[in-house]
Amino acid sequence: MTQAAPTAAPLSQRQKMEFPYKHSTGPTIGRFYAGLKEQKKIWGQRVAGQGVVVPPLGYSEIDASEAGEWVEVSDRGTLTAVALVHHPIADLHPSAKPFAFVLVKLDGADTALAHIVSDNLDTAKVGARVQAVWAADDKRSGTLRDIESFRVVG
Amino acid sequence: MNEPPKEGIKYVETTVRLPYHYVAGDYKALYLLALKEKRILGSKCDTTGKVFVPPIVASPESFAPCSQLVEVADRGVVTTFCVVNIPVIGRNLELPYVAASVALDGAAISIFALIQECKPQDVHMGMRVEAVWKPDGERQGDHEDIQYFRPTGEPDAPPETYINRL
Repeated sequence: MTQAAPTAAPLSQRQKMEFPYKHSTGPTIGRFYAGLKEQKKIWGQRVAGQGVVVPPLGYSEIDASEAGEWVEVSDRGTLTAVALVHHPIADLHPSAKPFAFVLVKLDGADTALAHIVSDNLDTAKVGARVQAVWAADDKRSGTLRDIESFRVVG
Repeated sequence: MNEPPKEGIKYVETTVRLPYHYVAGDYKALYLLALKEKRILGSKCDTTGKVFVPPIVASPESFAPCSQLVEVADRGVVTTFCVVNIPVIGRNLELPYVAASVALDGAAISIFALIQECKPQDVHMGMRVEAVWKPDGERQGDHEDIQYFRPTGEPDAPPETYINRL
């Protein structure tokens, strides 16, 4: 038995699912965030076999040994990966206008930090030099977005 | 200062937001529009004749198309249920309430529904229930057009009539 299946005019609905998270940072990331907020500095940790790790984890991903000393790294660095988002989804992505997800290897660090570039996207290429754009003193709250974005320099 | 502040940030609050644009498709659109008219539609498998509610385009059992929409009753039988004693964020129902699977007359599978107008402890497998619809003019064509199900007072359905429609 075959017959044309019934059809209907398109029907749709917009919905927004929200997951309000409050997560405990732990001692290591907690201090990393405090450095961003209070000192406007980016800190990593020296880890056996991995060099200077940013953001720090508190332990080695190679052998689980405890991380060593805290090391301040520059707020400038080099892009090691770029993913352009031409059509951001409002409320989901970190920027409402086109931006790029990037990995930044900060000067003095041996690992790359995930962040965004929000301006001059045509210059956001692997190898480009970037500089952190800090949130104003009264806006920094102790999150990774205390660095609003990175901008391409030189 | 050659290290970050001793006192770290303790918590980060982040709300993850997932904006959806849900498109119903033909069958679900017709199903929802029918709710506005107090009608519940299912789809009938071309091979087995089983009726699925809400309607789906193909049977997950026989893989055959379900090319016909059919109306099922707005009454049926409680096949399984749960008494809820713990509040859920975003839901304002008075506790305790009963969430149940209801196999509508004419349907091969059950739908999920609230059972009200009786004590939670009186709800049982095999209990006959009927839909309580929103009044005319207030139905929007969504699942809340059926406010809940309530006991009909009919004799219980024997287990063999619903055991395969849980």
